[in-house]
Amino acid sequence: MGIYKKLKPQENWKVPVIVLLGIISGLGFYILHISKATSYVSDDPKVCVNCHVMIPEYVSWRNSSHREWASCADCHVPQDNVAEKYFFKAKDGIYHASVYTTRGEPQVIRIKEAGKKVVHNNCIRCHENQVTDAKLASQVDGHFAHRTDRACWECHREVPHGKQRSLSTVNFVNDEELEEDVRIPAWLDEQLKENYQNKEQ
Amino acid sequence: MNTRSKLRVRNWVLFALTIIVVFSLGLLASSILERKSESAFAYTPKVKIGLNEPRNKVWGENFPREYQSYLQNADTLFKSAYNGNAMIDMLEVDPRLVVLWAGYGFSKDYNQGRGHTYAVTDLQNSLRTGGPTGPDDGPMPSTCWTCKSPDVPRLMGEIGVDNFYKGKWASKGSEVVNAIGCADCHDEKNMNLKITRPALIEAFEAMGKDINQATHQEMRSLVCAQCHVEYYFDTKIPEKEGIPYLTFPWENGFSVEEMEAYYDEKEFKDWTHGLSKAPMLKAQHPGYEVYLTGIHAKRGVSCADCHMPYKSEGGQKFTDHHIQSPLNNVANSCQVCHREESENLIRDVYDRQNRIIVNRDKLEELLVRAHVEAKTAWDLGATEEQMAEILQDIRHAQWRWDYAAASHGGSFHSPVEIGRVIGTGIDVAQEGRIKLARLLIALGFEGEVPYPDIATKEKAQAFIGMDVEKLKLEKEKFQKTLLPEWMKAAEEREAKMEDGE
Repeated sequence: MGIYKKLKPQENWKVPVIVLLGIISGLGFYILHISKATSYVSDDPKVCVNCHVMIPEYVSWRNSSHREWASCADCHVPQDNVAEKYFFKAKDGIYHASVYTTRGEPQVIRIKEAGKKVVHNNCIRCHENQVTDAKLASQVDGHFAHRTDRACWECHREVPHGKQRSLSTVNFVNDEELEEDVRIPAWLDEQLKENYQNKEQ
Repeated sequence: MNTRSKLRVRNWVLFALTIIVVFSLGLLASSILERKSESAFAYTPKVKIGLNEPRNKVWGENFPREYQSYLQNADTLFKSAYNGNAMIDMLEVDPRLVVLWAGYGFSKDYNQGRGHTYAVTDLQNSLRTGGPTGPDDGPMPSTCWTCKSPDVPRLMGEIGVDNFYKGKWASKGSEVVNAIGCADCHDEKNMNLKITRPALIEAFEAMGKDINQATHQEMRSLVCAQCHVEYYFDTKIPEKEGIPYLTFPWENGFSVEEMEAYYDEKEFKDWTHGLSKAPMLKAQHPGYEVYLTGIHAKRGVSCADCHMPYKSEGGQKFTDHHIQSPLNNVANSCQVCHREESENLIRDVYDRQNRIIVNRDKLEELLVRAHVEAKTAWDLGATEEQMAEILQDIRHAQWRWDYAAASHGGSFHSPVEIGRVIGTGIDVAQEGRIKLARLLIALGFEGEVPYPDIATKEKAQAFIGMDVEKLKLEKEKFQKTLLPEWMKAAEEREAKMEDGE
């Protein structure tokens, strides 16, 4: 209480101090707002491209088979318990945020040791049946031995981000790309449907 | 130091600390905003592509790599054993074709295509489209434009599908100018593959299938199947009578017999043969149908897998939009799956083609003979009744020959099926000729009807009585008068179009 007592403003200063503290906190909230801080709680892959330097990773994932099954967080964040998940997320997030803010991002983003462990465990989490499959072990030379002494992607090198990735491997990202896949453009569909209805009559 | 001055120091320190906190918060905020505005520009498309944008170079702004490779379609240097992308006068190479197509446009002029880049130009310059002098003149209907340009979906969107098919070919000369390109296969918003030609959608409907259910891999062939298929112009659709409505004869199936049955049922003919008077069918290019019967289709390989394989440039992997024979790019096409020397792979292709062509040539000769013999029979006074069955045989035999010949690449895409089709063609042709021989004897003719001297294109065209010079003159006049007008009108029209926003 000692420090608080010392810092406590005199009676006639209370109002301006409250206002000033309000301004400073407001600025803080503003920063949380413009940095979309709350979005980071979610697992939506779009959150990962809040910063555009992640776009090559995002686009390569989105064109991969993993898109249908696994989001970024499914592989890159521990999934064994909630506490560890959010602890790792916070730790990783603060690291990423500080690199991005100081413009320290490299041309080619490479995974760090801690991240590797998480990804490897997540590979196994979903593919447990494949990695321990006896048929597979007998077909692929050394699969049994290798699965314990190296990371999956040392052999499965293109999963899922492809061989080449850097800030310049992507042209642009189009938010409309994930829209529903329809084969007939709307203008033509309308015309043909009209035709079809005429035929029915 | 007394309490008063201590207090003063403390206040100044607090003041300074607050300045630092607020200043850094401000810096952080401005950095965030700065990087956000950076993101607003980084990885964003250069232009917004409009609905049915026909100008390929506008799409090229956003997709420079794909566009660069697309521009290479202008290359006409590659010749394989039988095809390639160089312009080859097929009537010169094989004058028998002139006789087979007597009375039909293809006997005037028929070239090996030079690729998508030249589709509009080559159609304008072909003798088949004649020398129209105005919008309602010329031998061909508007429907002939359907596969030639991304201006087609644009026009269909503007005036409607039926109105597009209506009228003469010349009526849309100033509208259809851009080379086959982006908008023919791609959605302008998300670049997904799209079907922009009604005939394919309607053919799926006729077969009781929904093209919206097609997988992405199937789409990598189906966009090609919008055009590289057998088709005809149906002028008898209820409520659309008289409009040459582009239709695929797929209702019964894709095979040569199933399509033949379809046409026979409708009593459809493309033309009446100039010599034999047989009700003929012209097979267009059943490339997709034949491919479907081959081993590659069966293993799930799409057209694009071999004709537009992936390539890498500067760290980016993308689809090569230089659409060409895989024989000119064995490394990226065949060798992705087949670990063989490219020499061996090319030889495998040629081996199949060389074997198929032996029987195809034989069938061609039989058909020439059949047409000439039928003409002799007519000249000797044969009746329609006597000729009916024979003409039907000629129709069926030539349909089979054309199904094989026009399915460019068919003898590689599906050698067994093409071998079978030609085999049945030879059988049908000879059956017809046996009937002809009996008839000729009955009409008092003895000996062999001489095989015509059709050693060159000129001789063959003279033999069927065609005045090529007249056709060429008409064409030249068209190229000097109407064609420049079309081009000027098109230029003025496009100048008014907005550039991609």
